[in-house]
Amino acid sequence: MKLLAKTTIYFLSAMIALLAITGFYLYRQFSREIKNRSDAELLTAESQWINYLQSQADIGTTFIMRSKELSVFPTEAPPQPYPVISDAEDYTIISGTKIPYRQLAHVIPINGINYQLIIKNSQEQKVALMTSFTKVVLFVFAGLCLATLLFNWIMSRRLWQPFHQSLQKIKKADLQQMKDIRFDTTETYEFNQLNESLDAMSRKIYGDYVSMKEFTENAAHEMQTPIAVVQSKLELLLQDGNLHDEQVQSVLQAEDALNRLSRLNQGLLLLAKIENNQFIAEGEISFAVITKKYLSQFSELIQQKQLEAETEFTNDFKIPLHPLLADSLISNLLGNAIKYNYQGGKIRITTTAHSYDISNTSELDAIPADKLFKRFSSSPENNTKSNGLGLAIVKKIADANNLSVLYEGGNNMHSFTITRKRN
Amino acid sequence: MKLLIIEDEQALRESMVKYLSYQGYICETAADFTSARDKLSLFNYDCVVVDIGLPGGSGLDIVSEVKYMESKAGIIIISARNTLDDKLRGLELGSDDYLTKPFHLSELNARIQAILRRRNFEGNKTIGFYEIKLYPEQRKATVNEKSIELTDKEYNLLEYFISNKGRVLTKPAIAEHNWGDEYAQAGDYDFIYTHIKNLRKKLLDAGSGDYLKTVYGSGYRFTDL
Repeated sequence: MKLLAKTTIYFLSAMIALLAITGFYLYRQFSREIKNRSDAELLTAESQWINYLQSQADIGTTFIMRSKELSVFPTEAPPQPYPVISDAEDYTIISGTKIPYRQLAHVIPINGINYQLIIKNSQEQKVALMTSFTKVVLFVFAGLCLATLLFNWIMSRRLWQPFHQSLQKIKKADLQQMKDIRFDTTETYEFNQLNESLDAMSRKIYGDYVSMKEFTENAAHEMQTPIAVVQSKLELLLQDGNLHDEQVQSVLQAEDALNRLSRLNQGLLLLAKIENNQFIAEGEISFAVITKKYLSQFSELIQQKQLEAETEFTNDFKIPLHPLLADSLISNLLGNAIKYNYQGGKIRITTTAHSYDISNTSELDAIPADKLFKRFSSSPENNTKSNGLGLAIVKKIADANNLSVLYEGGNNMHSFTITRKRN
Repeated sequence: MKLLIIEDEQALRESMVKYLSYQGYICETAADFTSARDKLSLFNYDCVVVDIGLPGGSGLDIVSEVKYMESKAGIIIISARNTLDDKLRGLELGSDDYLTKPFHLSELNARIQAILRRRNFEGNKTIGFYEIKLYPEQRKATVNEKSIELTDKEYNLLEYFISNKGRVLTKPAIAEHNWGDEYAQAGDYDFIYTHIKNLRKKLLDAGSGDYLKTVYGSGYRFTDL
């Protein structure tokens, strides 16, 4: 649920309760006021009637009068010192609506005769008051509802703007560009707190990231010397004519594993360097030229697998790229196209002004998208031939140079397409 | 031929000395910047093998030093850093070659020989092994003074074998020397066999002795034994 919806609901619920309480209180105050006035009116009416009755009684008349608002009749009951004012229990029906009455009852002696005097005062106003009260309260509530919604909407747009800006920045944050992310000072204390924390956090993350990258690079460098030592020792060991076959095999296997370790190390080093943006493009690279170079360099492998390599270079794909990265990109893609091909398969390479496409036949299933460019996720069948970094390097080179890599697999065909990224 | 090997990693230094001594070089060593500079100022060397990361200074400064002394020594840099910048700077300063760690000793040896041959202006620029003779500048080979037709790759192979005569050369080392580093990621080394078979046949057909021996299980060796 959105924060806006939540605050609105809370606000409105509080408003309902508040309005109910105020409404009830006001209603009581007003009805008490009405009652008091009504009672005062009744008392005035009574005294007027008493004056009138007394003046008429002097003439020697006995009164009996029954109307809706006034009843006067002689009674046996003893006179009362004070009038009794009460809510009338009997409702008269006027046009189908029950109307409450306020009623004054008094037994008074006039000329020695006890008279029961009953004056009724309509409480119709009270019902009207009730209705208008409900109306007003509902109206106010509706108005408040609208005002709240509108106000909250405007508020959330205005007040929360810095928050949304920061949120957008975090969403778009990329480890490599973390250095340039700045969360600006706003006019709101809370958001300043938030932005300060985010600033500190992003700086910390970037610092850690840089030191981690440096560590990777240094570690990879430092590893090369011990690997060189082991390799030289194994090479010398092989020169020993007294070794048995079994020992020779052990040395060869060790050398093979060491080669893999060394290549792995170089791959990781290359990735770290690309991440460090150590390869700045110097000029435009022709993909056709590089591809031809590697086709000739790998010609033995292509012949050995009896692969049919089709090329279509009428329009060259040229982009600014560091020559070393161009070599790495093409040799990885072409190497894969050869390595994962079958005997007598095909490789097709096409360049257009906008794209570079390399596809090959293969018995392997399409690479799942989530594993495609991940490090160390090469297929188990090819574990020994691959260090699992090739495509990760391809992807990293593409990302660092504003290129996109598209993969399509299936029907025994795998194809990679490199295009310029649209901005 | 006298070499100075400047490398701080003792085990690697010893490996290089052992391999290169067997190939007939006189090897001297230095483990740090100062002793390397001292030796260079006192003695003459035909080739200097220098590591970039040295205690007490950079190997690149050694290169400048050698050039400053107008020494005729060839220089080959070995470095753990495989960056184009380092490579270019080394070559700009006057080194003849640049080798990235880890490297095959056979590769180092082949590179040293190539440098020495290029620098040996007055002397013999051919490489010989009994009746076989190579002319590196023309990339031609003769057996008993008769020219034999070799492909580019076959010539490279033969030169590499003769440079490392007597040593067992593994398939990865051969592949890396002749086809480059990227080859390893594209496939296996089975294709080498075809090339070696062809080279051997051409040599035998031209009347050379059978020097190119298969060392069972490990690789190949060029030897008269």
